[in-house]
Amino acid sequence: MSDASVYPEPNNTFKQSKRNVLSIIVDNEPGILARIVGLFSGRGYNIEALNVTVVDIKENLSRITLETIGEQKVIGQIIAHLEKLVPVHSAINLADLNESYEAEISLIKIIYENEDQNLKTLALADIYRTRTVTKKDGIVIYEISGTSERVNKFLDDLNGINGIKVEIVRSGPIGLGV
Amino acid sequence: MNNSKELNGAQIVLEALKEQEVDTIFGYPGGAVLPIYDAIFGQNFLKHVLVRAEAGAVHAAEGYARSSGQVGVLLVTSGPGATNVVTGLTDALMDSIPIVCITGQVPTHLIGTDAFQECDTTGITRPCTKYNYLVKDVSKLSEVIHEAFEIARSGRPGPVLIDIPKNVQLAKSVYKPRKEISFRPHRIKSGSTDISKEFIENLISHVKKSTKPVLYVGGGCLNSGPKASEELRKFAELTNIPVTTTLHGLGCYPGNGKLSIGMLGMHGTYEANLTMHDCDLMINVGARFDDRITGRLDAFSPDSIKFHFDIDKSSINKNVNVNFSTNTDIAHALSAINNYISSNNIEFNHNQISNWWNQIKEWKSNDCLKYEQGEETIKPQHAISRLNELTKNKDTIVTTEVGQHQMWAAQYFQFNKPNSWITSGGLGTMGFGMPAAIGAQMANPEALVIDIAGEASFLMNIQEIATAVQYKLPIKIFILNNEYMGMVRQWQELMHGSRYSESYVDALPDFVKLAESFHAVGLRAKNVSELDETINEMLSIDRPVIADIWVDKKENVFPMIPSGAAHNEMLLSQYDEEKPENQEKGKVLV
Repeated sequence: MSDASVYPEPNNTFKQSKRNVLSIIVDNEPGILARIVGLFSGRGYNIEALNVTVVDIKENLSRITLETIGEQKVIGQIIAHLEKLVPVHSAINLADLNESYEAEISLIKIIYENEDQNLKTLALADIYRTRTVTKKDGIVIYEISGTSERVNKFLDDLNGINGIKVEIVRSGPIGLGV
Repeated sequence: MNNSKELNGAQIVLEALKEQEVDTIFGYPGGAVLPIYDAIFGQNFLKHVLVRAEAGAVHAAEGYARSSGQVGVLLVTSGPGATNVVTGLTDALMDSIPIVCITGQVPTHLIGTDAFQECDTTGITRPCTKYNYLVKDVSKLSEVIHEAFEIARSGRPGPVLIDIPKNVQLAKSVYKPRKEISFRPHRIKSGSTDISKEFIENLISHVKKSTKPVLYVGGGCLNSGPKASEELRKFAELTNIPVTTTLHGLGCYPGNGKLSIGMLGMHGTYEANLTMHDCDLMINVGARFDDRITGRLDAFSPDSIKFHFDIDKSSINKNVNVNFSTNTDIAHALSAINNYISSNNIEFNHNQISNWWNQIKEWKSNDCLKYEQGEETIKPQHAISRLNELTKNKDTIVTTEVGQHQMWAAQYFQFNKPNSWITSGGLGTMGFGMPAAIGAQMANPEALVIDIAGEASFLMNIQEIATAVQYKLPIKIFILNNEYMGMVRQWQELMHGSRYSESYVDALPDFVKLAESFHAVGLRAKNVSELDETINEMLSIDRPVIADIWVDKKENVFPMIPSGAAHNEMLLSQYDEEKPENQEKGKVLV
C-alpha cells in the first residue's frame, strides 16, 4: 500500500462544495442528540445527514457529524450555541478549515432481471472500484466509499441502466481536519 | 455525619441542599415527590414555602434569586407539576436567572407507560432549561445536584432541572459531599476571569479619541454581582461617559447618578435613544442588543465603534455586529480596566465630550416623561411618581407584572442600587410579579417589597395572595387599574386602527373585597386626592396589602419607538402628529 495521499494537494471538499458539515465531540449520555437536534429544529433548519458514534470508550465520548444547509450567520450562531451545551466539548464547521478530508460509506442493493442489466451494472461497479458484499439470484449488494460526490456519481450512473431496482443506505459524510 | 452511612434518595436531596446552604425552597407536593416531602418534614434548616400553584413556585424562586444573588430552588411533582413550571423556566432562561427545579417522576419501571401523572419532563423542558437531568441511579444523585447548582450559577446563569423518579428517592446510597466531587470544566463552562491587555488598550484608546461616547448597560452587569456595578460606576466617573441602562440594567448605575440618562429602548427616554443613535463610541456592558433596544436594525447607531462585554459567546454579533468583544466576566473585566487606568496614571479629558453633554442636556430639556395630572382622574405616571417619592427613604424592592404598568414603573420609579428591580423582561410573563415579590420578601425579610401590577396580569397568579398571607409576608400589590390589558390596547390603538379586540377586562373582581376574603388588606384610591393617603396607609400596614389604584383608562406609554422604527423616529406623546412611517411593516413585528 502506498502512503501517497489520494488528493494531490491540501484539500477541503466541504468548503469547495459549500456544505456545512459540523463535527461535534460530546459526552455520550442520554438526551445529547436531542439537545443538538433541537438547536436546528427550533430554527426551522433541516439536518441533511447525521452520524453519531462513540469514539472514546474510556472517556465516554461520541463524535457527531452533521450536514446542514443554512445562512453562514445562523450556522455561526448554532456553533456558538452548541459550545454552550453542557455535554459538548467542542464544535467546529469542517468547511471553515483550510484542510479537511471527507469520506462516506454506502451499501447499494441492485435487483436486476436480465444479463444485459447485470453486465452494465458490473461494468459500473468495476469503474467505481466497489466491493461486492453479496451476489445471488439476481440481487447484488455493493459497498462504495469515498467522498459524497463520488457516491452520488455512482448512483447517477446506475440510474442510467433501465429496469434495475436500487435500494440505498448511506452513512452521510464524515470528516476530519488536519 | 458518618460518611459510610446510607441515606435514601430523598435524604440525599436534603443533604445536598444543606451543603449548598439553601435555606428556602418553594414548592407544591404531589404523589411523585412524597418521599422528598417526608424528608422535609421534621428537619429545621430548610424553610418550605407552600405556593398555591406551581407557576407561583418558579416565579418566587426567580424573585428570590434576583433579589439575593443566590440560586433559587423549587420542588414540584411529576406530570402537571412539571408542565406548570415550563413558563417560569423559560422566563428564567431568557432573563439568565439561576434556579434549580427538582421534579418528581414516576418510578423508573413505569417511565414510558403513560402512568398516572407521567410526562416526559426532561423532553418538555430541554429547550427551556440551561441543562436538565433524569436521575435513574441513586448513586449519581449527590453529584448531579451539586453539578446542577454549579451549572445554574456559572457563566451566563440559568435554570437547571433535576427529574427524580420516585423509586430513586427511596433507593439507598452513600451521600457524596461536594468537596469529593471533581467537576469537569467543559460541563460547568465558567466565564473567563482574564481579559486581554490588547482589549483594554483598544478600549482606552477609543475612549480617548471619542467625542460622543455612551455606556449601554444591561442585566449581565447585575448577574456579575455587586462588584460589577461598583466597577462600572468607577469607570463611568473616570471617563465621564453618559450611562443608559436596559430594563434589566436599571439600578446597576444609580438612577439619580449624574451620568445617568435613563432607560433606553422602545419606551426609553428621548435623550437615551438619541444618544445611542448619534454616538461615535458605544460600550455595551452585559446587554444583548435585544429587539426592544435596537429598533430597526439597519438604522441602529449607524456611526459608532462598538465594544461588547458579554459572558455568552453566542450573544456576540448575534443581532448587531461589533468591533471589539470580550467574554470575560464583567466584574473582572471592569476591575482590570480600572486598575490599568490607575496604575498607568491615564487621565481622560472631560472637556473633549462637553459638547456631547450639552447636546444631551438639550435633549433632556424636552422632558420626555412629562405628563399632565389633572384634578380628578389619577394618571398612572403620577401614581408611580408618588409611590417613588413616598418610599424614597426605604429599602425598597420593586417587582412588576408585564405591560404598561411595567414600563411606567421602569420610567417613573428610580432605582439606585442593583438587585432592587425584578421584572420579566425577555419572556414578558404576565403573572410574574406577585410570586416574584413573595420570593424577594423571603430573601429580604426587612425590605419593603412592592409588586407594581396591572389588574389583568395580577389575575393570572392571584392565588398566591394566600401564600403571602400564610407566611406573613407583608408584600404590597400596587395595581394600576385601567380595566384594560393596557399595552394590548395601546398597540391596537397605534397599529390596528383603535379596534380594541378583546382587550377590555370585563367583570373584574372588587379587589378590596378580594383582599379581605384572602385575609389580606384591601385599599382603594379613585381620584388624585386619595392617592398619597392610600400609599401611606399601604406602607404603614405590616401585612400583605392590595392597593387598587383607579387610573386613566386611555393613557398610553410614551416615548415609544414603534416596532420597525429607528431610534430617531420616536413618538413623544399621545398628541404626536407624526405617525411612524413603517407602520405596516411594524405590524408583523412583536
